[in-house]
Amino acid sequence: MADPRTGSLVEGTDPRLLVEVIEPAGGPDAAALRPVLLLHGFASSSQLNWHDSGWITALTAAGRRVLTVDLPGHGGSAAPQDRDSYRPSRIRADLLQILQDSGVLPLAEGNPASGLDILGYSLGSRLAWEFGATQPELVHRMVLGGPGSGDPLADFDLDAAREAAAGGAPVQDARTAELLRMAQLVPGNDLAALFRMIEAVKEEPFSPEAAVPAMPLLLVAGERDDLAATAPALAALSGQAELVTLPARTHANAVTSRAFKTAAVEFLAR
Amino acid sequence: MAEIPFPLPDLGEGLIEATVLEWLVAVGDQVERNQPLVEVETTKSAVELPSPQAGRVARTYGEPGETINVGEPLIVFEVPDNTAGIVGTVPQEAPARRRVRLTAALDED
Repeated sequence: MADPRTGSLVEGTDPRLLVEVIEPAGGPDAAALRPVLLLHGFASSSQLNWHDSGWITALTAAGRRVLTVDLPGHGGSAAPQDRDSYRPSRIRADLLQILQDSGVLPLAEGNPASGLDILGYSLGSRLAWEFGATQPELVHRMVLGGPGSGDPLADFDLDAAREAAAGGAPVQDARTAELLRMAQLVPGNDLAALFRMIEAVKEEPFSPEAAVPAMPLLLVAGERDDLAATAPALAALSGQAELVTLPARTHANAVTSRAFKTAAVEFLAR
Repeated sequence: MAEIPFPLPDLGEGLIEATVLEWLVAVGDQVERNQPLVEVETTKSAVELPSPQAGRVARTYGEPGETINVGEPLIVFEVPDNTAGIVGTVPQEAPARRRVRLTAALDED
């Protein structure tokens, strides 16, 4: 697999996203299966969302090569000053470039190494939905965690959050307050960059009906995940989706669930 | 056969309770020492608790979403009589009042 960091550029600019390739248990020779691209959630990182929660181990033990990408302004990726770097459309273009540079092949009948699978969580699921809809020649199956048909980031009260973060009055809107709390919980999070991403998302809010992915989907949501309460609407749009509910889980703690991992590994092996 | 209860251990940081998120074993399962039993969540974090010993799962306490206090029953193991004494057993009649520290249990035997 080519080094994805030395590939060609989208619009002539290197987005300086942290890309990591993790070989399956048994080494690179065991990689007879298509890779799995992992897309983390807002205010998280590949480290937090996938490494620390045991996902990398679960997938590589199942013989899968894993590709992680930190979103702009997150984890080990650069946090540019311009809003355009954070646009969902721009991120999707960067992802496509990364996949091409990584040597991902178009899906071919009878070749289990062709194409790729995608696992997303929250904002990562939104990006995966759109990416899968526009790149059917590449994407085989997708697992979307904490998904919803709404857009919690587009509804985010940015002015109130900026004021609260600067030491002013606390945020009134409950969802905004919870997202801000989660963002501030992670040491090293670049709040200014996260706010720029929210500005960009507000200009390109999630519109799942605009383009619907045609491949099989597994939607996984915590029973107490308010942000994913609309997951059944996504399933209805898809017509190709299985829905798994995790008892007692919320948007914040569904990621570590073994039932989630087992269901995802099994679904992607089909 | 003897029954050995395992109360919710002291998870540190002054936390007095935890919420059951996901049982990783079921009644009737034969579990090994250090095998993850259950994922619980405190106000600080979610954590998987490893089994302090080998045995068959006789009972579990708490459905996902339910809260258990430190020291209250979490799981009961069934072990053959002749091995019951190896890992500090709590007598059947007495309530599991003593706080069991996970690290201490792992260091025994």
